[in-house]
Parts: sequence; C-alpha cells; structure tokens
Amino acid sequence: MRIVDATLFALQIPFVEAFAHSVRSRSCSDSIVVRLRAEDGTIGYGEAVARPYVTGETVEGCLRFMERTLWPAVQATDYFHWAGQDAIAWLGSLALPIEDSANAGTGVVAWNAARCGFELALIDCLLKSAGVSLGELLPPRHPVTYSGVITASSIEGAVKHAKRFKQFGLPHIKVKITGEADRERLAAIRAAVGPEVSLRVDGNGAYSVESAIATCEALAEFQIDSAEQMIPRGDPQDLAMVQAASAVPQMADESLITLADAEALIEAKACRGFNLRLSKCGGLGTTLAIAELSQAADIRVQVGCQVGETAILSAAGRHLAAYLPEISFCEGSYGSLLLREDLSRRPIHFGHQGLAKPLKGPGLGVEIQDALLEKYAQQTISLSAKAA
Amino acid sequence: MAQAIRPLIETQYAEQVQAFEHSPWFQRLEQGQASLQEYDVFIFNLCQTHLKSPQILAFLYAVAPPEAAPQIKHNLLEELGLDEVAICHPDLLYQLATAAGFDRDRQTHLAQAAQAQIRQLCTDPLLFGTMQELGLSVLLEVTCFEWMLSRLAGRIGQTLAEHRGLSPASLTWFDHHSEVDIRHAEEGLDSVEQYLAYYEIEAEDLETILDITFRENIFIKRYFADLPLLAGSAHENR
Repeated sequence: MRIVDATLFALQIPFVEAFAHSVRSRSCSDSIVVRLRAEDGTIGYGEAVARPYVTGETVEGCLRFMERTLWPAVQATDYFHWAGQDAIAWLGSLALPIEDSANAGTGVVAWNAARCGFELALIDCLLKSAGVSLGELLPPRHPVTYSGVITASSIEGAVKHAKRFKQFGLPHIKVKITGEADRERLAAIRAAVGPEVSLRVDGNGAYSVESAIATCEALAEFQIDSAEQMIPRGDPQDLAMVQAASAVPQMADESLITLADAEALIEAKACRGFNLRLSKCGGLGTTLAIAELSQAADIRVQVGCQVGETAILSAAGRHLAAYLPEISFCEGSYGSLLLREDLSRRPIHFGHQGLAKPLKGPGLGVEIQDALLEKYAQQTISLSAKAA
Repeated sequence: MAQAIRPLIETQYAEQVQAFEHSPWFQRLEQGQASLQEYDVFIFNLCQTHLKSPQILAFLYAVAPPEAAPQIKHNLLEELGLDEVAICHPDLLYQLATAAGFDRDRQTHLAQAAQAQIRQLCTDPLLFGTMQELGLSVLLEVTCFEWMLSRLAGRIGQTLAEHRGLSPASLTWFDHHSEVDIRHAEEGLDSVEQYLAYYEIEAEDLETILDITFRENIFIKRYFADLPLLAGSAHENR
C-alpha cells in the first residue's frame, strides 16, 4: 500500500505548569506530529520530539530531514500490511533512511526523533488500514504502572509534587536533580512520601564522574533505586567508573541513543539499566532491538518518555511497556496532567496508583483530534506524492 | 480546625478569582476589545460549564455529610427551579444562548458539549483513590465557582450587556449569581468544612487536594479553553 500524502504539524501545546530539569525548563510541548494518508484513505499519526541536548535534533532540523529525506523514501515505498508474521520482522520492513548527507556536520547524533515520527505514523496507518491493533503485534504481558516525575523546582515545590503523587497512590517517583541541594531535596521528598515509595534520581548529565559518585553516595541513605544519566554522554568507560564506585544502579539515558551505544555500554559494563525512549531511540523497531540486547546482557529497562509528549507517543510507549517481558519502571501517559489539552479524544493518562489499561483500538489505539492539531500548530507542512 | 481551614480555602479561592480577573481574556472581554465571535465563544463556554450544574450538585448531594446535605439539596432544587422561586437555571442559560443568536443547531451542539463534559468526568481514569477525595475536589471546585460568581457575575453580565448588546432579561442568570449572592458562597464554605469534619480529612490532605484541584485556573480552563492564547497568558494558570 502506498502513502499518498503527509502533513507535518510543529505544535506548541501549553503546559499546565512548567517542567524543569538540569538542562532546561519548558512551559509548552514542542512535538512534531506526522499525519500520513494512505491510498485507501486511512490516516495514521506519529510523533517526534526533537531534543538538541539528546540526539542533537532541533524542530527545524527535524522538519527539514522529514521533508527532504524521509518523505521521499516513504512515498516511494509500497508497504505490506501486517498479516500475522513476526512482529519484529514486520516493523523492520518499515525501516527508514538513517543518514542525511545534506545535514552532515550538524552535530546530530541520529535523526531518531524524525524517524520515530514517521515510523509510528506508518505503523498507525498500516495497522488501522488492516483493522489491527498494535497490541496484536506486541501482546501485553503485564499491566503498566507509571511513575511520577518531580521537576527540578524549589524544594517546597518538589514536596508539593511528591504529596500529589502520594495522594494519587503512585508507587514509583523519579526526582530530577541538578547538583544544588540534592540531599535536602531527597530528604524532604522521602519524608513526604514515606518509606514505601520507590525513589530514583535523574541528573540529566549535570555531574562529573567524581561528583556523580559522591552524590550517589550521599543520596544512598534515601533508598535510591537508580540514578539516571548522572554524567554527560561520552565515553562509556566514564559511566562504568561511576557504576563501579557506586552501590546505586546507574541507568543510561542520553548515553543510549543508538544500537551501537547499547553495545558499547554493555561491553563497558557501564550501567545496570537502560532508559528506552521511542523518540530518542528512533521508533519501535530500533527500541525493541535495544531491548533485546539489554535482556541478553541482563540490563534492566525503563520505558521512558519525552516531557510534553502527546497521546501518540504515550500510546506507543504504553504498547512497548506492556509488551516487554520485564521493565523496572515506566514513565509517560501524563496527557492532560501536563498538557493543557491532549490530542486524543479519550484521555490517555493513567489512573490511581499509576495504573493504565492496554490500548485495544486499531493502530496505536488512540483517536487523534485534527482540530487540535490545527489549533496548536505553529507550522504546518503539507507534502504530497505528486509534488515530491 | 475550622479557623485555620477556612482562611486557607478562601486564600486559594481568592487567588483563583484574582488570576481570572486579571487574565488577558477577561480584560479583553470587559474592555470591549473582543470580537463578536469571541464574546460568543465565551458565552458558549460559560453555558457549557454551568448547564450540567444540577447533575454535579446531585453527585455532591449523594456524597454530602448529613449536616451539609440539606443545603446542597436546596441548591440542587434551586438549580432545577423546583424551589419557591421556581426558576430553572439551565433554562436561563438557554435564554442567554438564544439572545446571543445561537440557532437550534448551535444550541443542540451546546447541550451535547455539556453532556460530553459529564461523560468525560465519568470516563477519565480516576487519580484519587477514594470517593471522599474525588467528592472533596468537586465540592471545592463548585464552591470556588460560587465564590467567584458572587464577586464577578455582575461585572460579566454588565460586560455582555455593554459590549455584546444583550438585554437585561437575557442576563438573568448573572443576576441570580451576582454579588448579592455572597450568602451562597459562604454556605459553600460551610459545606466544605462540614465535609472535612465528617470524613475526618486531615489538614495536610486538604492542602494536597486543594493543590491538585487548583493547579490550573479553573475559570480560565472552563471559560477560555477554545479561545486562542493571548500575549501574557502563558503564566496565567494560577
């Protein structure tokens, strides 16, 4: 089946409240939604979240790569419906171009967000056309329990968030840390939520090797279940040094963008956990491949999310999290808890105790409201097979 | 407990009302700078917000403690026009919609949109673990609306008369919720206190539920949701 046109929506949906970590603070989402239309009229939606400090992609760069590289490849391909064959192989058949020679030297690690946007839109479109849910390809193995994430605001603000999450019965909480008053922050949060709630920290690369080791040691008394990306992306040996010196399990996030990154981290015994994020890792196909590697290497996985993602990425993340044999933690599906309006007709966000049901509808299982795409689009690019 | 709790709640309500009153859209409407279509979007949203008040009050009546139940029941009957005054409030909202020129299709759409909000309330995954927490959150929102209307309904009605050219008769709903209705707002706070006492809700939990309920500005969210963002509105949430 051929894809006959594509529309790219660069969105700005305001947040209910600002979200900050060590690298930046944001008050609105900046997702790019990819809408594809197949020759039979079926519409599919995908989502890309460009993060310059993660993959090196910007919204503008992503749009350019989508228009110049991905769209020509997609419109030139005759896609096959999924007909019960191996899910991983079928997802592999949707492989998209990796490189863009015109953008060489831009500092982009990988065009993974852009590829994720198109890949998810293809999956949604082709599965909807066949009346199949992604849950049939990736059958859920367990319920999904989402974590709360506490932004790097004041300690007073962090405690307020912690109390909200406690009221919602969330069993897992991730705390963004910056190197400023980390101990006081964790002490206050632990006091607010009690001993039963699992706490973990995320440094977003704000620490040196030495300060990461010292911070993990200082925070260990608060029963920290993992420390995510304490040092910047770089030589896996550096992360291995932190892991070797710390009892707190280290989790790779920005250090883990490509399959080659995963192999290098495993080889270096750099960490005990991988944070898998679809937009960061290039979509479902590559994320599943990384998950397979991690399983073989006995590395635990967390299914992460993008701050400000809409129901599209959240739905794909839900399918992934429910399908993977074992995950340590799951993030995402914040929907209208963070966004002033989410794109799906029915809410995607989790309920009490962070629990969420599997999505059963065709494709990704969410019904996207085009009117909201129009409402929040800062830029819209229409691409058709004829014009390309 | 009551002395400490009441000012805490009133402070939250006051902050919500102040942020609404100073929001760019409120200012634009009140100063007559909005277009006809923008006034109509506001009227639509206001009607949508309040058309299902009887249903919401019925829910609150169901979870109300014995001390608060008679008052909530009275408010419910008043909304439905089944009290001694016998004016059905949803009818007043349709009267407003008709005066604004909403044709049959638009009024049908309005009714469907109001029903959709009830449906959403029922289908949204529940974040609270118990009905008492959900009930408190709904009670806080409803009484905060009463608190706001008792202070601003007159000004809003005046705005629609001056800048949208609506007749006094079509603005009766605002008269019923206007500044003279301070008593209702005070009774609402009494109900909250009675609810807290009956369900033995601790001050710390109240603070968290207040924080959750009012993390967004409820008036801006309900009344201005479909209007485009204006300069200065990015930080208007609280």
